[in-house]
Amino acid sequence: MMGFARQYVRIVDAVNYRIGRLMMYSLFVMFAVLLWSSVSKTFFLPSLWTLEVAQFAMVAYYIMGGPYALQLGANVRMDLFYGNWTVKQKAWVDVFTVFVLVFYLGVLLYGAVDSTSYSFEYNERSPTAWRPVLWPIKIVMCVGIFLMLLQSISELFKDIAKIKGESL
Amino acid sequence: MSYELIALLMFSSMMLMLFTGQRVFAAIGGVAALSALALWGTGGSDLPFSAAMKLMKWYPLLTLPMFIFMGYVLSESKIADDLYKMFHVWMGPVNGGLAIGTIGLMVLISAMNGLSVAGMAIGATIALPELLRRGYDKRMVTGVVQAGSSLGILVPPSVVLVLYAMIARQPVGQLWLAGVLPGLMMATLFILYIAIRCRLQPSLGPALPEDERNVSMAEKMRLLRAGILPLLIFAVMMVPFVNGWTSLVESSAIGALAAFFAAIAKGRMTKYVFETSLRQTLAVSCMFMWIILAAMGFGAVFDGLGAVRAIDNLFTEQLGLNPWVILILMQLSFLLMGTFLDDTAMLVIVAPLYVPLVKVLGFDLIWYGVLYTITTQIAYMTPPFGYNLFLMRAMAPPEIGLRDIYGSILPFVLVMLLALGLIMAFPQIALWLPEYVYAR
Repeated sequence: MMGFARQYVRIVDAVNYRIGRLMMYSLFVMFAVLLWSSVSKTFFLPSLWTLEVAQFAMVAYYIMGGPYALQLGANVRMDLFYGNWTVKQKAWVDVFTVFVLVFYLGVLLYGAVDSTSYSFEYNERSPTAWRPVLWPIKIVMCVGIFLMLLQSISELFKDIAKIKGESL
Repeated sequence: MSYELIALLMFSSMMLMLFTGQRVFAAIGGVAALSALALWGTGGSDLPFSAAMKLMKWYPLLTLPMFIFMGYVLSESKIADDLYKMFHVWMGPVNGGLAIGTIGLMVLISAMNGLSVAGMAIGATIALPELLRRGYDKRMVTGVVQAGSSLGILVPPSVVLVLYAMIARQPVGQLWLAGVLPGLMMATLFILYIAIRCRLQPSLGPALPEDERNVSMAEKMRLLRAGILPLLIFAVMMVPFVNGWTSLVESSAIGALAAFFAAIAKGRMTKYVFETSLRQTLAVSCMFMWIILAAMGFGAVFDGLGAVRAIDNLFTEQLGLNPWVILILMQLSFLLMGTFLDDTAMLVIVAPLYVPLVKVLGFDLIWYGVLYTITTQIAYMTPPFGYNLFLMRAMAPPEIGLRDIYGSILPFVLVMLLALGLIMAFPQIALWLPEYVYAR
């Protein structure tokens, strides 16, 4: 069991780390798009596509980057009590409460897949002048939420290991 | 089960989950997803994800990563050091002058950035050690840095007002303008407090000794140039926006890039600064966005229940309270919650609950946005749990204990409460500027 967990944590963390690093640099994509948007608006004809491309970039940024943020421990917790516990106590509580996270991500993923298949079937487009199809960004969101789910299970394994006093 | 009871159940189970120390977004989102499923069966299963689509279409949210990046660039690259020197030389000869200069520094940083973290980092690492070395009272100094940096979320650009705008469905531009005068007023009140206090008790903030005051006029003028940079960044960002050439989001990107290139031009954009800024931007943006995502799902369930109407009905019809009494009670409960709740959580939990209620009561939502921000500022600073307090603890030199930090904020919180009262009594302080600009 621990062998499988170790393998799982290693692979999932490595994949999410690399995707997260990529997303981290994609901040400059947002800069470029928004800069072009202001330049084109001031000097030429305003571009139709910039607004939505920037929105898509932001969604990819926070959903695909989410697992890396989880690895970094960036997600705030209310540390009224939590802050005073030992590492082991924290791990014990997290092992149980992490299921709220898994449940939430599961429902999120269910809705995402549902919505994506709808977009795919009817070739749903955004109701704007540019009218981009929506399924590509929704697939990105599905993948991101799925990776987030994998990462939260990885966190669970790490907590179990902490309780056992092992390191993964 | 009555709607009030369901709402109460949702709220208390969320609080319970928060107290276990699980990640805030998981606690909020999990309760939201569970209640949606319990209330509407499979029909509710798409609700959490539709919040994600709603979030995507909310354009001003893009300013969030931009300002976070800008804040980290400004504080990590230390381009604000020169600014501090400027205030140091110009304000040094007055009693309490360095503390007053620090407030000035904070106002300038606030005008470049929308979070209080940047001001806090700059204040604690640059101003704090300097002021302590000059024999300033340590409680005075920590209070100044904390109060000053909290201006970051009131003076535009403000990230808190962006979040508020999303929840209250109000235009961000007007909200930002509404924050200008209250922000400056509060800074003035801080300065008045420091000046009067240090005049009465010069030992709290002694003037610079004679030999240090001997700075030539040419040198003084040269230092004044440090003030150009923040003004330039502010102008590059706000001028195109106020004139309507660029949108809010585009301006924020321009501002972030301006700070980035300013750091490069000054030779401060090292590999370390670059890496830290980018990584922290991702981490903090993701934290905020996932919480907003979860909170929107929670809000959608609440909306679906009609819980706000029920609460409003309870207060106005059954208890027969005056809208003003309710408003004041709300602010008080907000302050109370702020003392023990995590601030980010409070922001996204309180706003969806209170804002619709304020609207139903017939108050101006732009005006309430300012009240809301000031209350958040106070909550940031009040013991036992305030984000700024912990940041301060982490950043301040070891001789400043938690007791000093707690003690230091009291006078400043009183000043802030005074400002809050003034704006409640005279809404025009907040509303004059946006009305003036948008009436043209």
